[in-house]
Amino acid sequence: MVGRIRMNMGLQRTMTIDAKLLTLIQWLSPSYPIGAFSWSHGLEAAVAEGWMSNTTELEDWLRALLTHGSLRNDAIFVALAHRARANEIAELNETSKAYAASKERLREAERQGAAFAKITRNIWDLALPDLQMPVALGLAGQLAGIKPIDLIAIYTHGFCSNLVSAAQRLMKLGQSNAQKVLANLNVECLALAEDAVEAELSDIHSIAFFSDIAAMHHETVPQRIFQS
Amino acid sequence: MTAKARATTPLSAMPEVPRTIGTLEVRSKVRDGLSCLDDLRCSGAMRALFPRMEKRLEAIMINTSGGLTSGDRLSVTACAGQASHLTLTTQAAERAYRAEGRPAKVCTDLVVEPGACLQWLPQEMIVFDHCALDRQLKIELAPSAKLLMVEPIVFGRSAMGETVETGHFSDRIEIRRDGIPLYMDSLLLSGAIRAQLASKATAHDAKAMTSLVYVAPDAEAQLNPVRAHLPQTAGASLLSNDVLVLRILATDSFELRKSLVPVLDLLSQCTLPKSWRL
Repeated sequence: MVGRIRMNMGLQRTMTIDAKLLTLIQWLSPSYPIGAFSWSHGLEAAVAEGWMSNTTELEDWLRALLTHGSLRNDAIFVALAHRARANEIAELNETSKAYAASKERLREAERQGAAFAKITRNIWDLALPDLQMPVALGLAGQLAGIKPIDLIAIYTHGFCSNLVSAAQRLMKLGQSNAQKVLANLNVECLALAEDAVEAELSDIHSIAFFSDIAAMHHETVPQRIFQS
Repeated sequence: MTAKARATTPLSAMPEVPRTIGTLEVRSKVRDGLSCLDDLRCSGAMRALFPRMEKRLEAIMINTSGGLTSGDRLSVTACAGQASHLTLTTQAAERAYRAEGRPAKVCTDLVVEPGACLQWLPQEMIVFDHCALDRQLKIELAPSAKLLMVEPIVFGRSAMGETVETGHFSDRIEIRRDGIPLYMDSLLLSGAIRAQLASKATAHDAKAMTSLVYVAPDAEAQLNPVRAHLPQTAGASLLSNDVLVLRILATDSFELRKSLVPVLDLLSQCTLPKSWRL
C-alpha cells in the first residue's frame, strides 16, 4: 500500500515509499522494548570457550547461523506464520518450540515473543497472542499487511545486528570491523529472505551443532552479562 | 508392462528396482508383571533377535543386506504396549554406502503407550563418501510414557583414513507427546559435506555426532550427573522438567563412545544392550 501523507502546505502528496516499512523498522529497531540486547544466542559462551575471538570468526559464525542454523530456521518460521491460517498458529508455535536446541534458546524466543506481542497489540490493535518470537513476528506481519520478504530480510538483519552488538561487548572488536561484519552479511540476509518466503516446514533443518552446544554451555557460564 | 513394451522402453526410463526392502514390526506387552513380545513381523532384509532378559524386552534389529545403498527401503515400526519396557538396538553399526541413484530411505515409527518405557538405542550410522540417505524417526508418546533415544552418526571411518567429501544425508527426528510436538531435530547435509561441517559454528571438523533425548520424571535430577560425563564439545539442557536433551560432537566414533556410553549407562540404569560392548 502506498501511504498518503499530509504535507505542511495542506496538499496531499503520494509517497513512493511503502508506509508500512516504517512500522516494520519500528518493530525491529533496537529501541522496540522486547529486550533483544540482553540475549546473545550463545555467543557469550562461545567467546568464553575460545571458539570465537576475532572479526573473521564472528562473521563465519553468524554466516553459519544464516545458512545452516537457527537463524535460517527462525526466518522460515516467520514465513510460515505469515501465511498460516488462524487455526494453524498454535501448532506452528509448538513446532517452533520443539525445534529449540536448549532451555535458554526456548526462553529467548518466548520472552521476546511475549514482549513483542504485548506492545504490538496495544499500539496497532492487532489480535496477536503471546507466541515464540518468529511466530509472533510472522503473524503480526500478516495482520498488518507487511510483505514477508521485507519482514524476513529486516528481521534477520536486525538479529545479526543485535549479535554484532553483543559481540562488541564480549570481545575486542573495533566499530569499523563490527559494521563491516554486518555489511558483509547483507547478501546472506537477502538470499535467506528470498528462500524463506517459499519455504515449507520440511525445509527446517540445522547443522549448527556448536552454536547449539554453546547455547547449552551458557547455562553454566559462571559470570554472565547476557540471558543466553 | 508387457514384454513387448519392456523391450522397446529405453533402460533409463525403466523404473528403478529397489535393491533391498525390509520391514520390522515389534510390539511388547506385560504378562505376569514381565515385559514380553506381543507381536513380531519381519520381511525382506530385516530380522530381529531377542536375547533372554529378566523383566525387559530387548530386540536386536538386523539389516541382513549389510548396509544401505541406492533405492533401499527399510522400515521399523515398534510399540511399547501399556506399562511394558522395550529396548531396541542394532547388532552393529549401520552403513550408508556410496550411492549413485536415488537415496536409500529408512523410516522408523515408534509408539510408547501409557506407563510404558521405550529405549531406542541403535548403534552408529556410518556415512560414507557419496552416500545418499533419507532417514526419519517419528515417536509418539503417551503423557505418562518414558523414552530414551539416541542417534549417533559418524562421518567416515577416520581410523581407515576415510573422509566424507560429498553426498546427501537428511535426517529428521520428530517426537510428539499427546499429539503435541515435544522435540524436533532435523539435519540436511547435501553437496560439499566436508566444507559444511568445517565451520566453527557447525561441527568444526568433528567426525562423529550424537543427539540424545531423555523423557522421564527424573530428567531434571539427571542433568548435572549427565553433564559430569561430557567433554567440552558436548552440551546438555533441560527443555522442560521431564525432557533432557543432549548433543555430543567428537573427533571420531571412539571418542564419541567415551562420553556417550557412560551417559547411556546412567540414563538406562545400566541396561545398555550388550551389543554396544562388543
